[in-house]
Amino acid sequence: MTFVLRRLVLLVPTALGVTIIAFFMIHLIPGDPARTILGIHATPQKIAILHHQWGLDRPLADQYWLFMDRLLHGNLGQSLYYGTSVGGLITSRLPPTLWLIIYAGVLGVVISIPLAMIAATRKDGIRDHVVRVVPLLGLGMPSFWLALILQTVLAVKYRLFPVTGYGSGILGHLHTMFLPSLTVAIALCPVVIRSLRASMLNVLGADFVTTARAKGIPGHRLFVRHVLRNAVIPAVTVLGINIGFLIGGTVIVEQVFAVPGIGNLMINSIFQRDFPVVQAVALVFGIMVVLVNLLTDMAYAALDPRVRFDR
Amino acid sequence: MINRTALAKTLIAGSALALLAGCGSGPASSNNSSNSSGPVHGGNLIFANPQDAQSFDESTVFDNNSIWILEQITQPLYTVTSDGKGVMPWLATGYTASADKKTYTLSLRPGVKFSDGKPMTSADVKFSLDETRAASAGWGYIDSAIASVDDPSPLTVVIHLKFPWAPLLADLSLFANGIVPNNYGGKTAAQFYQAPIGTGPFKWDYWHKGQAVKLVRNPYYWQKGLPYLNSVTWTDVPSDNTRELQIKGGQAQIDQFPSWATVSSLKATPGVNMDLFNSTETNYLAFNENVKPFQDVHVRRAISLAIDREAIIKAVLFGNGQPANSLFPPQVPYYDPSTPGYQYNLTAARQQMAQSSVPHGFTTTILIPAGNSDYATISTILQAELKPLGIKVNVQTLDPNTANGDFQSEKYDMSLTLWTMDIPDPDELATFGLDPKSGAKSFFTSYDNPTVVKDVHAAEVTTTPAVRQSLYNVVQTDAAQDAFMAFLYYSPYPYVTTSNVHGFFVTPLGNYHMQDVWISK
Repeated sequence: MTFVLRRLVLLVPTALGVTIIAFFMIHLIPGDPARTILGIHATPQKIAILHHQWGLDRPLADQYWLFMDRLLHGNLGQSLYYGTSVGGLITSRLPPTLWLIIYAGVLGVVISIPLAMIAATRKDGIRDHVVRVVPLLGLGMPSFWLALILQTVLAVKYRLFPVTGYGSGILGHLHTMFLPSLTVAIALCPVVIRSLRASMLNVLGADFVTTARAKGIPGHRLFVRHVLRNAVIPAVTVLGINIGFLIGGTVIVEQVFAVPGIGNLMINSIFQRDFPVVQAVALVFGIMVVLVNLLTDMAYAALDPRVRFDR
Repeated sequence: MINRTALAKTLIAGSALALLAGCGSGPASSNNSSNSSGPVHGGNLIFANPQDAQSFDESTVFDNNSIWILEQITQPLYTVTSDGKGVMPWLATGYTASADKKTYTLSLRPGVKFSDGKPMTSADVKFSLDETRAASAGWGYIDSAIASVDDPSPLTVVIHLKFPWAPLLADLSLFANGIVPNNYGGKTAAQFYQAPIGTGPFKWDYWHKGQAVKLVRNPYYWQKGLPYLNSVTWTDVPSDNTRELQIKGGQAQIDQFPSWATVSSLKATPGVNMDLFNSTETNYLAFNENVKPFQDVHVRRAISLAIDREAIIKAVLFGNGQPANSLFPPQVPYYDPSTPGYQYNLTAARQQMAQSSVPHGFTTTILIPAGNSDYATISTILQAELKPLGIKVNVQTLDPNTANGDFQSEKYDMSLTLWTMDIPDPDELATFGLDPKSGAKSFFTSYDNPTVVKDVHAAEVTTTPAVRQSLYNVVQTDAAQDAFMAFLYYSPYPYVTTSNVHGFFVTPLGNYHMQDVWISK
């Protein structure tokens, strides 16, 4: 419990660091939201009016202080582009991103475990080589390209899934978000499969497995209860780290599949120089990565009782 | 040993894919090219748009995506004709003008109701025009000739002008002069524009920002029997490829602006129609006259003469455009087809260069926004085409926001830019492009020809069409001969629709009337 609390407290400096980096990085990039919004109708007078309305005519330090002051009061500010509350925007756009990450994680596990089992039980056989090599294509293929192939084949040719969107209702989300989640999962699988396969091979050679076999425990039970449970522990760490990494990578997938998540919001807001939204989304992404790492550690503890964080 | 049954059980998870494919609702119904005997009511149409809407505050929004959606909700007193060159009565039925052309009395169409069922009156019109006029950071300038608006009776509006103003009806046809309820129906402006109310064929349903805007049929619409559709939804799909796949997959019915590279293949794709609507979009190469040697008219002319516009159209638009000869596009009233805009003539270009202050050439930079493949292609062509004149062109690629900012701040040598008309009158473009004292500093070039400026403003206060035509002819000729920008090409608006969509038409100004659109069974 102390460990969890300590990690949660660590969120504060992490979040602070994210706010500083996000705030100053976005202001370092040249560009002006007033010009974007006014487009070709921008004149110095109109730009000045908008700058004053938004407080962009104040010194940068003042703007950061104002941002932090609002943040500490639970207010993420107003979107310059949409003219609405940033908190509301993020609240409405967070569920699709969470769906994408969780769904991709689940698909990654569902795909990786059987394939790793095939590879481990047929070490150095043809199946093993196929399982080790073929998923690497997913790792090497750009996600936008993989997405295009999946859309063309499964959505346009066979019409099994919608080309884009988020869907409505649980079944609608499961159906619509399958292709984007699969795209993310395919990039996730190769590392997990390799890690899981290596762990399984280690465990399969362990003395306790030989003993269990000698005691006549059926193969299926032996594999699920003894081999898989022990082998999955290092793979959980690998999966957690990669999910943390993929949180940033979902922005591309969200764009291609028009998933209305915060990654999509981030990209649009960067182009529009919508400073408050970029800062807030960066903060949310930072917190999500820390939380995923925390959950990974907790899952590790749950799977392996020998691990005691409190010590 | 590990038995195969165990593995088989584990692998059953893989069959979930097949189950998932059956989950949820399937894609929208497939394209159906069957012809119907006439328009039918019903159906929900989905647009795949490259961008989300930005705002629905008609007095301040400049974003076309927002404007074209908003026009289905609110309507102005006059609207643009389908050829984009005139106006026709819309919420007004007609007008009379005083002898001095400073007072216009407009009759309002009886029986018009807002989508909440309340009747539209002159008080609503007065309020709407006054609100737009007051928008200092918005479209207020378009109504700057209006001194005041009166509402003497429920169906009569009187507009008093500061001076005679020829573009008045064109200005009134602008979406920003759309009619909204008096005092925003008791709300603040901010509250009202969260779900605006108007007299248009559709009314507000929802806007999920960054996802979709949905409008539904207005039961009180003043044109009986219209609209045909139950609803229209504009979805935000930034990727060109994804929009195309949505159309092919039947998930959307209209793709706004497919990439030019796909136009010919889409024309040959069964189940879809690839339409190229006449537009007022004109692309230019701007010269910054604050930077040497672009003050030199011979340099500007030489560059204009060295550009092979047909080659650019072939490379960028895949042949779907025409070379520009004037600042004005052909779909604008008073466009002069005989305007002597410079066309490709390398010999003449060399002669102009020889007369210039830099006869042996110079090094310069062209500013383009990152991610714009059309402009990248044009820049490459320009590099090659200006080389024979001894002009070395470096391409400066900046992110779109920064490039736009630098262009408008005149921090560039040469830059590519474009224009589309907002009103069916050339005044807006002429002032924006040719008057250095306008906010846009002659299209951000600092071009200053006092004779041109005088003629531009004379055409504003002259209400006789023949006189305006002769003034604009001179303006177009002078601007072309000064080569303050190289007029590159006119391009159409590309739209893809599924073949069961009928009645969709885009005016040269980019507006469309969704009231006329229907979906065949």
